[in-house]
Amino acid sequence: MEHLLAFFTIFTHPQLLLLVGLGTFAGVYVGAIPGLSVTMAVSILISFTFSWDVYPALALMVGIYMGGVYGGSRTAILLNIPGAPSAIATAMDGYPMAQRGEAGTAIGVTTTMSFFGGFIGILVLALAAPSVSAFALKFQPRDYMLLAVLGILLVGSLSQGSLTKGIFAGALGIAIGAVGRDPLTFAERFTFNMPLMESGISFIAVMIGMFGVSEALLQLHHVGQPAIKQKISRIVPSWSTIRKHLPLSLQTSTIGVIIGALPGTGGDIAALMAYDHAKRVTKKPTRPFGQGAIEGLVAPETANNAAVGGAFIPMMTLGIPGDAVTAIMIGALYIHGLNPGPMLMVEQPNMFWFIVGALVMANFFMLIFGLTGIRLFTKIVAMPRPVLIPLIMLLSIVGAYAVNNSITDVYWMLGFGIFGYLMRHYGYPLGPVILGVILSRLLDDNWRRAIISDRGDLGLFFRGIFTSPLSTVLFLAVVLIFVSQTPIWRWLKARILGQGKRSVEQ
Amino acid sequence: MKSILVSAVAALALSTVAVSAKDYPSKEIQGVIQWGAGGSTDTVMRSVTPHAEKTLGGTVVMQNMTGGVGAIALNFVTGKPADGYTLLMGAENPLLYKVMGLGRKDYSDFTPIDILARGTAILVARPGLPFDDYKGMIAYIKAHPGELRIGATGPGGLPSVVTAMMNNVEGKLNVISVPYDGDGPALTALQGGAIDVMPAVLGAAIESIKAGKMKPLAIFEKQPNHLLPKVPTITSFNEAYAKYLPWGPFFGVFVKKGTPSDVVAKLSAAYKAGAETADFNKLMDGRGYTVMNISGKAAQDFLTKWQSNTTWLLQDAGLTKTSPAKFGIAKPGK
Repeated sequence: MEHLLAFFTIFTHPQLLLLVGLGTFAGVYVGAIPGLSVTMAVSILISFTFSWDVYPALALMVGIYMGGVYGGSRTAILLNIPGAPSAIATAMDGYPMAQRGEAGTAIGVTTTMSFFGGFIGILVLALAAPSVSAFALKFQPRDYMLLAVLGILLVGSLSQGSLTKGIFAGALGIAIGAVGRDPLTFAERFTFNMPLMESGISFIAVMIGMFGVSEALLQLHHVGQPAIKQKISRIVPSWSTIRKHLPLSLQTSTIGVIIGALPGTGGDIAALMAYDHAKRVTKKPTRPFGQGAIEGLVAPETANNAAVGGAFIPMMTLGIPGDAVTAIMIGALYIHGLNPGPMLMVEQPNMFWFIVGALVMANFFMLIFGLTGIRLFTKIVAMPRPVLIPLIMLLSIVGAYAVNNSITDVYWMLGFGIFGYLMRHYGYPLGPVILGVILSRLLDDNWRRAIISDRGDLGLFFRGIFTSPLSTVLFLAVVLIFVSQTPIWRWLKARILGQGKRSVEQ
Repeated sequence: MKSILVSAVAALALSTVAVSAKDYPSKEIQGVIQWGAGGSTDTVMRSVTPHAEKTLGGTVVMQNMTGGVGAIALNFVTGKPADGYTLLMGAENPLLYKVMGLGRKDYSDFTPIDILARGTAILVARPGLPFDDYKGMIAYIKAHPGELRIGATGPGGLPSVVTAMMNNVEGKLNVISVPYDGDGPALTALQGGAIDVMPAVLGAAIESIKAGKMKPLAIFEKQPNHLLPKVPTITSFNEAYAKYLPWGPFFGVFVKKGTPSDVVAKLSAAYKAGAETADFNKLMDGRGYTVMNISGKAAQDFLTKWQSNTTWLLQDAGLTKTSPAKFGIAKPGK
């Protein structure tokens, strides 16, 4: 009963409700601007809300978090520039839809599905937090490594056209991610003895350049053509559309919650993995993937919002952050005199239920703010290109600078922009580069941790894999997905199915 | 014409310096935290800075910059102008960079603003191991050479110093050292069973110890800590540790050397006031840190002594790349 009261705190206090709404609204717009990240917004808020009580401070942060994760999809759909790393996959089918004049529909689907995913995430948090966090803790370095390998295999689904070019792009991304001082041993890698390279290349700068600037340059080819007319007759997707995608969105939400709950991975990887999953399981997409498939929006958007609830799971049950944003929130709890840790749920269960309530409210606000103002937003794509192209450039430069207040990042961003333009020109996909950069450290660090723990013995390493059910499942998934992308698979399938037919005939 | 231009530029430059000292802070200050979000350095800085901001009358935007045992953040700040708009929020590690061959810069390139607090090292183990204290662990290592996995945070981090002490006192221990990005991720890995034992700062482990998620083996102090009075001190197992104690990681705020002295004074006053608040003291005590709150010469002396003690400890353990003598670091007690 007391818990129920704590859950409803948010609904009964207009001031708290207002703060969640304000946070969500700000989050949607902060998230939509490439380079302005939720992490940044929340860390600024922490000093800002210091003198406040803990509930209002958390209400605002929860709102920003939920709104920001969703907001990244806006610019991804309208301009092909993901506002946040977790919206990279959204751009792949969202932008083609905007090009067909269906930006309104795309935003509508995205918003509804983000709401759905967010809701599943919250539900898991509320009902199964302790068991999910126990499961997340089971992941050993070798499991993180296998997860990263699994991620790298997404190159296949992220590259349209030549797989060879996709693999090249992915490998390039891994190399970019490895630049700088190695975080485990401090050795310099690919730095060419330049102090500039020592701290590595900002991943956000690469992302903004590759998507933003290269898009602006590409648009220059069509500068004379009239802008695409957007029809915004139907924004809220029909009930039948939602029902049709229900099985897929449940699956991708589950992926989102689990990846979000793992302390080493967040919404970006969750969204990419969900996109890949959708591509595998959807037999008949509305349109081919990459050309504006609704499924290509449903999957990443449910997953990245489900990851929000997921990230709170280890935070609330163990005091371990699920991602960068929850890490900062843990800091906020300390500052407000609470001790986040395994005892928080036992000693302060009201705090837990309050956060669940705030998340529910933020999710509803996200739906409201997401579905309104679309008409205004879609005007952006309807702008004439001579206005739109400089606008994209401006957003990209501001965004790249804002990440670290570093002009070097702007140069990196512009350099990668031109490079990305050339890559697109010659048919190299950009998705795998970003994937490589995201996964580079996850793969590298955890492979080394795993093999060091086994004293450098590959035999012991594989024994470890096959004695743990979790590692075995992940390993088999890696093997299966890998084989399914090679000609052997088709050959095997033809043989087995062929024999099956013959036996029926006999 | 040229000379007029030069003097005009010079005058402009001078006037900006003068303005920056008098009106400081006239813009946002960037606080670069050497370690990841959720770690001990992060908690200390994020709790004291909002209090300091009130005295300072400006905003400090904090940012985590991890990697290279904190050297990436340190090098980043040395690359910025010495105007007090970029603060380094760090721990003890940079004092070891030179001898460990990790970098050519350390806190001698900085001016301390405030050494805020000192931590206590504690050795924790995951539950499910067949020993419950330090003595049991040593016996286990001797019986199972090369099997126990001890967490590390790279050469020069707290675990490497504690491990050096253990190697010095007990003779070379045959264990596996698994590197992590910081004590936060390593303690997470410990709870998941990826590593067995972790030398950590008390504050990062205390909540999990209380909840029974990890077991304390020994505390690296001469006297028991009032927060965990039942945990035995390391000297109760082996008196030989006494010569290294008290030892502990510390947290401090620094600016690049050459920052105008009135800016340093302003920052020092702000952080001093911040560290005096009841809120901060309560938080530090609850987390097992000892508040120091020293600045100026006291802070400088503390840094010199700490560096001398620890680098020579590592030197005697054979862990250094270059002898501290080469950098003019005096041997302790001489």
